[in-house]
Parts: sequence; structure tokens; C-alpha cells
Amino acid sequence: MVERAAADRLWPAFPSGMALLAVGGYGRRHLFPYSDVDLLLLVENHRLVESAGGAVSGFLQSLWDAGLRLSHSVRTPEECAEVHDSNVELNVSLLDQRYLAGDRALYGRFAEKLPRFLRAQREALTRNLTQLTRERHLKYQNTYYHLEPNIKDTPGGLRDYQLVRWLARIRRVDAPEMEPAFLFLARLRCYLHSLSGRDNNALTFDAQEQAAAYFAASGTAVWMRDYFRHAREVYRAAVRELESSEAQNSSLFAQFKDWRTRLSNSDFTVSRERVHLREPHALEAGPELALRLFEFVARHGIRPSPETGQRLAAALPRLQEWFAEPRPVWPALREILSLPYAAEAVRGMYDTGLLRATFPEMAQIECLVIRDFYHRYTVDEHTLVTLQVLCDLRRNREPAARRFSELFSEMEEPALLLCALLFHDVGKGASDNGHVEASWRVAEPALERIQMPRRERDLVEFLIRRHLEMSAVMTSRDLHDPATARDMAQRVETLERLKALTLITYADISAVNPSAMTPWRAEALWQLYLLTYNELTRELETDRIQNFPADTPEKQAFLAGFPMRYARTHTADQIDAHLRLDEIRRQRGVAVALDKVEAAWRLTFVTVDRQFLFASVAGTLSSFGMNILKAEAFANSQGTVLDTFTFADPTRTLELNPTELDRLRATVERVVLGRLDVRQLLRNRPKSAPPSRESHVRPAVSFNPDVSDSATLIEIVAQDRPGLLYGLASAISSQGCNIEVVLIDTEAHKAIDVFYVTAGGRKLDEGQTEKLGEALRRACGG
Amino acid sequence: MKKIEAIIQPFKLDEVKETLTNIGVDGMTIGEVRGHGRQKGHKEVYRGREYTVDLLPKVKIEMVVSDARCEEIVKALTAAARTGKIGDGKVFVYDVLEAVRIRNDDRGDAAL
Repeated sequence: MVERAAADRLWPAFPSGMALLAVGGYGRRHLFPYSDVDLLLLVENHRLVESAGGAVSGFLQSLWDAGLRLSHSVRTPEECAEVHDSNVELNVSLLDQRYLAGDRALYGRFAEKLPRFLRAQREALTRNLTQLTRERHLKYQNTYYHLEPNIKDTPGGLRDYQLVRWLARIRRVDAPEMEPAFLFLARLRCYLHSLSGRDNNALTFDAQEQAAAYFAASGTAVWMRDYFRHAREVYRAAVRELESSEAQNSSLFAQFKDWRTRLSNSDFTVSRERVHLREPHALEAGPELALRLFEFVARHGIRPSPETGQRLAAALPRLQEWFAEPRPVWPALREILSLPYAAEAVRGMYDTGLLRATFPEMAQIECLVIRDFYHRYTVDEHTLVTLQVLCDLRRNREPAARRFSELFSEMEEPALLLCALLFHDVGKGASDNGHVEASWRVAEPALERIQMPRRERDLVEFLIRRHLEMSAVMTSRDLHDPATARDMAQRVETLERLKALTLITYADISAVNPSAMTPWRAEALWQLYLLTYNELTRELETDRIQNFPADTPEKQAFLAGFPMRYARTHTADQIDAHLRLDEIRRQRGVAVALDKVEAAWRLTFVTVDRQFLFASVAGTLSSFGMNILKAEAFANSQGTVLDTFTFADPTRTLELNPTELDRLRATVERVVLGRLDVRQLLRNRPKSAPPSRESHVRPAVSFNPDVSDSATLIEIVAQDRPGLLYGLASAISSQGCNIEVVLIDTEAHKAIDVFYVTAGGRKLDEGQTEKLGEALRRACGG
Repeated sequence: MKKIEAIIQPFKLDEVKETLTNIGVDGMTIGEVRGHGRQKGHKEVYRGREYTVDLLPKVKIEMVVSDARCEEIVKALTAAARTGKIGDGKVFVYDVLEAVRIRNDDRGDAAL
């Protein structure tokens, strides 16, 4: 048709000096029912056109009348050979040009120049293309998953497919094979065009339903999953091409972060912000290398190079075999999940296929679509985003997120949280309703396979099976009804679990869609956390063990009267050990145990309660130069006291001098039995370092008489320093008060101490509260 | 026509919505809001610091109804939202000058 129109209108006016070229989609021979027909009128010079302009417009007119949507331009060969920064479209459309009709000689001259032009302008062309594409990707938040994608512009769509071919052309390499994806998208675009009668590429919800029916899929969600699989393939290829092109284009790397190459080690080199394998073939022989690779990524936040990704892909079958056997993979995985860039590392593992090789269970949620307006991401993407949300908490300085950031920084084992998040929705692929139990059913064998220890698996199980509970309570229960907090407290049982579940909930909600975690929801979640926290702390005092199921009457008698918290936070083995201490205590008046616990020490002693007991032992530890990190004091109904101090040894005296260990133990015994005055010890203690000038904590002492029926709760926050606990506990005892329960915690330089205190067996009255408050504030001030 | 605006406890939303639907109220707008009434929230103690929680999460429901049904709807809504405790919320009623259905230009009561 075009040729005929040209023959009719153009050639009579321009016997020579003009050629007609097809460019763009027309040039590629990929024309969709309603896409533009791109024509280039190549002219010797513009004067020709000016003198016979009518012919050109006549030509164009006839084509318009025939119903074609034309997009045309008129250029000289010289103009074509220029790089137009402002009109990248022209340059790019030329990549697909082909001769239609007209002056062959003119075309020949142009065609000759073209390869040279491409070579010379490769950099500029690439830069333009990559820049445009990056902008477009950013507009779509760098994800191929959109609820109603535009199959031309959205990442993973037809534009990305073109991009891959163009970049490969410019670099003169072969484009990756993507035929099935292209066919899918092309057929879909044809269908969409005929559906709406115009160049419409928006895959709306309605269109999705119709297309799924038309292409005889077994359901819209299933068909969309196919769409996303193809889009993902195209998007990943596009990103790889972008990276390869950018890497070759050294002007983009003008700010060479060369200093990062110093991070290279025996396994990996870092070059141009990417991680390369020193021995690419080592992957097959030593699969642990793959894990070490991502440990490196998690530590430094540098991504693997495209080549490394390819090596990994090639080794996947072998790796999958290796991971299918039960192996102690957990320590390496835990390391990855504990590092600052854990989320990026897991995403890298997912993108390269390593995650699926390690956990084939993940296949169930790949590109799985949840079709509602609320869920912004496919299930796999949502999972990766939850990890990112948590890891970002570390770096987040915004006031809105700060409370949760602090909570996260207190977690002793962040890796377990991340692991729970990794599997929390994996059951969504298994069943249509109730994915919570299904997720644990899928996760349990996986965790066994990587040989995660029982204790850690218990926490992960708790988190997965309960991950919806806080958000449910948040919206459906009256937060200020005490029953709600009690119920929640019973479900989580310990402070540690409460904090972990709160963070899981925070991440899960935040990852539903970018605006899901509104200040409203954050506030509601925090309220629930706060109320449950206070309830758990309150329970320390009031909920006493009465009839604990125990094997022996001695054990029952021992446990009766301790707070419920004691039973919940100690294992059966630990309780047995304490019982044995109690037996020793019966004979000697006191029993002291001193153990090393990871990087710290734990002192446990059992004795009969008396005044100044807690303070004395705290003081003893201070006199030895120890730094008390945590402490707990419990008393049972027989008046037996069980105190535990967790402390750090900054000068490693105990480690280096075994005799010091014995001396400490003996000293504590003597102090407890009243044979040694702790004040003497403190007078002779070594001078402590002056408090550092940074981050000074304002001391705060608050009394809460309403929390418990029989005791007054005192909460103290102060600058941590050696001897603080001794000072506080002495102040309480010297006012004639008795310490019933103690909870000590430290957070960097901040000491957080909770005491339940009685005077004469009852709560403190106003006068006592005032005097004690003064004494405590004095003790804080140091 | 009257506009009914109710600020209620979030956990009461499902019950109120069900009640309204059962008595034939078809359209409503729901938003998540924060605020407080006379009691100005309350104090919480956490880690030795006192927090005054005065921006409590609440839910706002808005609907425009005919004059004739207004009182009945307000009564039903209030009953469904009540717990008897502080923090239950409030209902406000406004006069509405005009209502238009965008799709077909229906006006007044026909647009409700």
C-alpha cells in the first residue's frame, strides 16, 4: 500500500534524491493492528522538499485516508548520522531501518554510513538508551509486577524486549533467546488492540479476564502468573543488558569506587562495584562457595557481576543436588541473615536461582498472584520486601519508624526473624484458604534439612504459625480492655517473643503495598505491643506458680511461689540444675554457680532471703570490675531466693586467671552468708574508667503503684556505669524496702532496671515513695 | 438530605457496617483517623518514660441519607458502636445542600 502511494505521489515529484525507509516497528516487521507505521523520508537535502512540499503531504494524506496511523520524519543522511540527545527515538528507530522504495543510490550512501555511525556513537547511543530505560523503570518502581501492567512500557514488557535487542545490536553480541516470551506478549498485544480498536496496551483487570478466557487459560490468576513469568524473564534480561552496557561505558563509571577493590579476598574480587569469582569452576566442586558468595554480598552490599550470575546458573543442577541432602547449612545461612545487607543478599540468591536450589519449596510461590486491590506484589516479591523492610529498619532514621528500629536493634537473633519471614507465606501456594499452618508444614522439613537446632526452630515455628495474630487483634479487639492484653500476653508468653512477633507483623504489613504501613496502623501496632509488654511485666509479680506439674514433691515445693515467668523462661534442664543448687543450699546455707554463656558470664545463687542480699552481690561483682548486663531475682513461697546475674568481663580477668574464678565464687558465698561486708570490697576496688562524654542518658525514676496488688513497680532508666546496680539496690534496702522481683537490662549505655518493691509486706505509701524516689535519683546521678 | 459522620472505635467497624447494611444503608465512606476526646487519651509508661498517648487510632464513617431515615440510622449506628466505656466516639449530623450521582446525573434523594 505504501509503495503504491509512493509510486503515485512521490516519485513523480522526486525522480531522484529521495528514498522511503521503514523504521521502528514497521522496520522490524512487527506491526500490531493499531500501532503506528513509522516512515522515514530520506532526502538529499531539504531544499528538494521545500520546492515540492505538496507532493509529500499528498502522499501522507493518501495514506492517512486509507486508515494508516503514520508517524513520519524527513531527514538527510547527514542528519541521521548525528546523535540527537533530545531525540533518542530517531537514533533508536534507525536501528531497525530497511529500504522500501525510491532512490537506491541515495539509500546506498546512507546505508554505508550507518555502521560507522553506530560504531562511533555507540557510547552516546547506549547512554541515551540506558538512561531512558532506567527512568522508565523507575517510574514503575523497578518491578515487573503491577496489578494492571502496560504491556508495552511496564518493566518486562515489549519495550524492554526491544531494548535487549537494541543493546545487543549496538554491542554486536547475540541477543538472548526470548522467543516464547515475545510470542506471548505479541499475541497479547494483538488481542488487546483488536479488543479496544486502538493502540491500547493497558492490561486492566477486565482485559485480564477477557484475555485469559480468550487464550483458554484455566483461570485468570493462572494466566496472569504466566504473564508475570514471561515479564520477569524479559525484565531480568533487560537489567542484565543494562548492566553490561553500563559497565562497558566507562563514562558512566567516572566515579570509580576503586577503594572497594580492597575488599577482595581469596574467593572473590571486587571490580567496578561487582563481585567476581576468582575460580569460576570452583562452584561445582565446592558448593559452599555459593553461600560464601552471598555472605560477601550480605556483608558489603555489593552485587554479583552478570558473569558470576551466569556461572551460578550453570552450576545450579549440581548445587540443587547438594542441597537436597541434609546438611549443616544453617550456620552459613544464619551468618548471611545476620549481616547488614541480608535482604539484598537473599534477593540476589533468589534472582540467580540459588534460593530455589537450596529450598525447592520456594517454587510454590514464584510469581504467585494474589488478585485483589490491596496486594501490590506477587507472593515471592512480597517475601523479599518483608526482609528489606526489616533490614532497612537498621538504617532508618525517620521518627515514625524509630520505635520499631529500636526494637529490632534489641533482638538477639535477627537471623531467626528473617528466616521466619522467608517462609511465612510459602503456604499460599499450597492452599486457597488458611496459609498459616500450610507455611509451617512446608517450612519444617526445610529447616530440618539445613539442620537448624531445635531451640531456634521453636522460635521460627512460633513466628510462622502466629504471624497473623497481632494484626488481627490490632483491628478487631478493644486495645484498652485488659482482657485483650492478657490474651496477647498468654499467646506470646515472653518479652522476647512479643518483640519478635511485633517486628514480623510490622514487616508483613509494610510489605503488602508501599503505603500499607500508615501512621494509623503503626500506632495501633505499637499500642498493642506496649500494652502486652506492660502486661507481661506486670505478670512477673502477680502470677505466681501454684501447682506446677513436676516429677517430684521437692520440685513442686521449690517452684511454688516463683513468678510464672520463671517457668516460661527456663528450660527443664535449667530448672533441674537450680533444684540441685537448692539441695546444696540446704546443707551449706548458700549455693553458687558460675558459668560462661557465649561471650558473657552467668552467676546463679540460691539462698534464704535477707536484707541487702541483692545489693551485696551486685556490689561484689562491681568490686571485681565486672559489668552487669542482666539480672533477675525471684523468691518462692518458702523464702528461698534465686538470683541470676549475667555480666561481662571487660578485662577478661576470669578467662585469663582460673584462680580468679574460684576467688569470685568464694567471695560471693562469704558475702551472701554475711561473713564479708561488701562495702569493704568496694573501698578496695580498682578505679573505674571515667564515664564517656558521649550519649548521656537522662536518669528517670518512675513509680507505678497500680500495676500490682501487693507491690510497687519501680522503673529506672539511667546511664549505665559500674556500681550502678549496687547503688540502686542499696538505696532500696537502706530505706527498709524489700526487693521482690528484679529485671535488669542494658541497651548500649542505658541501664533499664525494673524493681518490684514492698515495705512491711505491702505496697509503698506516699511518704515511703517520696523518700525512696529521692534516694534512687541520687544513686542514678552517680 | 443529611450527612452522618461517626467517629468510632476501630474494633467496632465490622459490627457497625453489618448493622448499617442490614437496615438498608448502601453507601458509606470509611477512613482511618486519629484523635481524642475530653480525656485527652491517657498516659503509658514504657522503659521508664511516660508517653502521653493522645492520638488514638479511630475509624470515621460518613454517609449521606434522606431526612426521613436520618434519626433511625443514627440510633442504629450508635447502638452498634456503643461499649459504654470511655472512647466510644461521637456522631455528627450535617445538612446537605445537594447530591449528584456522577454516572448519570441523578440528583437529590435519587442520588443516594
